[in-house]
Amino acid sequence: MGRVDPQAPLWRSIAVFRSASLAYAAYLLVIREANYSHWAWAWVVLAGMAGWTIVTTVAYAHPARRTWFVLAADLAVTAGALLSTAALQYPRSLALATMPVTATWVAGPVLAWAVAWGVRAGAAAAVILGACDISLRHQSLAGTYRSTALDGAVVLLLAGIVVGYMSALATRAERALQRATELEAASRERERLARHIHDSVLQVLALVQRRGAEVGGEAAEIGRLAGEQEAALRSLIASDAVPTPPSGESDLRALLAAESSPLVSVVTPAEPVLLTDAAAGETAAAVRAALDNVRRHCGHRARAWVLVDDEGTGVSITIRDDGPGIPPGRIEDAAAEGRLGVSQAICGRIRDLGGSARVTSIPGAGTEVRLRVPRGGKPGLDAEAV
Amino acid sequence: MSPAAGSPGWTRRRFDVRKRYIAGVGDAGVRVMVVDDHPMWRDAVARDLAEAGFEVVAAVGEGAQAIRVAGPVRADVVVLDLQLPGISGVSLIRGLLAAHPGLRVLILSASGEQQDVLDAVKAGAAGYIVKSASRAEFLDAVRRTADGDAVFSAGLAGLVLGEFRRMASTAAPGTPRLTEREAEILSMVGTGLSYKQIAARLVISHRTVQNHVQNTLSKLHLHNRAELVRYAIEHGLDSSAQPASGPAESTPKQ
Repeated sequence: MGRVDPQAPLWRSIAVFRSASLAYAAYLLVIREANYSHWAWAWVVLAGMAGWTIVTTVAYAHPARRTWFVLAADLAVTAGALLSTAALQYPRSLALATMPVTATWVAGPVLAWAVAWGVRAGAAAAVILGACDISLRHQSLAGTYRSTALDGAVVLLLAGIVVGYMSALATRAERALQRATELEAASRERERLARHIHDSVLQVLALVQRRGAEVGGEAAEIGRLAGEQEAALRSLIASDAVPTPPSGESDLRALLAAESSPLVSVVTPAEPVLLTDAAAGETAAAVRAALDNVRRHCGHRARAWVLVDDEGTGVSITIRDDGPGIPPGRIEDAAAEGRLGVSQAICGRIRDLGGSARVTSIPGAGTEVRLRVPRGGKPGLDAEAV
Repeated sequence: MSPAAGSPGWTRRRFDVRKRYIAGVGDAGVRVMVVDDHPMWRDAVARDLAEAGFEVVAAVGEGAQAIRVAGPVRADVVVLDLQLPGISGVSLIRGLLAAHPGLRVLILSASGEQQDVLDAVKAGAAGYIVKSASRAEFLDAVRRTADGDAVFSAGLAGLVLGEFRRMASTAAPGTPRLTEREAEILSMVGTGLSYKQIAARLVISHRTVQNHVQNTLSKLHLHNRAELVRYAIEHGLDSSAQPASGPAESTPKQ
C-alpha cells in the first residue's frame, strides 16, 4: 500500500530555506566586499554552496535517498564552507564577528538532522556548526562570552531543538490521521458488506417463510420461525440506520421498532418522529399496553397494526387489531372491577401527557385504539371510551 | 441515459398495451419482467408468475441489462428488487421509465429500508410489497399493478402519509397537499384495512377508495417530476433541443 511520506513538506521547506539563504549570502557578499581579502574566491565558495543546495534538494526529495551518508556529507560540506571564511575575510572582520560567507545557509544541515533524526541529532549538528563558527574567531576566544559570536550558535541550537520536536510531532500526527482514515475506510467497507449480507439473509428468510407456508405441515412451522427472525433482523437494521436524535428527545419510531413482528406491523414515516424523552417513553409504554391487550383478548394469532402519524402539532398513533372486538361497556366494567388495563395503562398515560385516547370497537371487526399526543404538553383532554 | 428506444416505437407500444386492456385479456396477456440479483428469488418469482398465467418475458439480475431489455421485450409490469449491485433503485426506476414509459414498476423488496422505498415510489414506482408477503398477496399485487392500481401495503401508506406531512411542514409553494378524505383513507390503509373494509366503513365504493389512493401517488409522482424539471432548469440542464410540447411522459428524466 503506497504510504504518503509524512515528512515531505518539512524537507521541501528546508530546500526553500536553503535557496533563500543562498540568495541572502550572495547579497551580503555584494554589499560587504570590504570585509573580504579574497572576494573572488568567496564567489567560488558561494558557487560551491549553490551546487550543494541543488544536490541536497534533489537528495532529500525522496525518503530512500535521505541516508546517514548524505546527511553526514551535508554537515561536512557546510562546515567546510563555513570554515573557508577564515581564508577569505580579513582577520579584523573575523574578530568583529561579521557574517561568515555562508551566512544563514549554515543552518541547512541542522534542520535536516533535526527532521531526519529528531531533537538530539538537531542539537548535535547545531553544536558542531556552532563550534566551527566560534573557532573562526579563535584570536579572541577569551572574549567569546561577551561577543555576538555566540548568538549564531545559540540560535542554531534552538532551531535544531524546535524543528526536531516539531518534526516528531508532525510525523505522529500524520500517522494518527492516516490510521483514522484507514479505520474509517475499513468501517465503511464493513457497513457496505453488512448491508449486502443483511439483504441476502432477509431474502433467504423471506423465501423460507414463503415456501414453508406453501408446503404446510412442519415446513410451515419452520417458515413461521424464519418469518419471525426476518422481522427481528429488519427492525434491528432499521433502528441501526436511525440517526441519533438531539439530547432530551427520542425518536418514537426507534422505541416502537422492537414491537414489530410477523403479526404486528409498525407503520411509520421515513423521517424521525421526535418527542421529549418522557413523552416518547410514556407513549411507547401505552402502545405496548395496547398490544398486550390485543394478545390477551384476541389470542396469539391476531394481527395488529400500529400507525404513527406525525401531524406536526402532535403525534397520532393508531393501534388496530383484527380480533373479535370489545362488547360495549366492557372497559368501564373492567375499570369498576379494579382491572385497570385499558383505562390506566393506556388512557391514564396519554392523559398525563395532555393528550387524548379513544377506543373504538366494532364487534366482529376488531378494536381500534387511537392516541393523540400533543407537542409542548397542552392541557389535558379527557380520555373517552366509545 | 435513455438507450436507443426511439420515441415513435414506444408510442406504438403504449397503444398496444392499452388495446390489450380494452380487449379485456386476462393475466395471460400481461407481460412481466422480473429484476432480482438473487437467483433463488428470481426463479421463484418467475415460476409463480408463470404458473399463475402471466407471461414472464424476461428475468434479469442486473440493473443496466433491465433498462436495455425493458423496451425490446415489451414488458407491461416489472417486478423489481430495490437492492441491486451497482445501481440505486431510484436511478433504475427512472432509467426503466425513460426507456419504456408505459411500464409499471412494482417493488418487491426484502429489507424495505423506508427511505429507499419512499424514494422509489417518488421516482415513479406504482407499488411496493415485501418479500415476506404470501404468494397470493404477491400475485394479487402484480395483477393490480398491471390494471393500473397503486399497490399500497400498510407500510407504504405510512411512508406516503409521512411524506405529505413533511412537505406540508416546509410550506414551500407548489407542494401538493392531501385532501381530508385522502388523509383519512391513507391512515386506514396504514392500519391494515383492505380497500373493501375501508369502502364499507366510509360507505363509498371500492373503486372510489382505489381512486383516492391512486391520487395520492399521482400527486407525489407529479410533484417529484416537477421538482426534477425545476432543478434541471435552475441548473441549466434543460436542453432546448427537446420538444417543448408533447405528453408528460416525454419529459426528460435524468
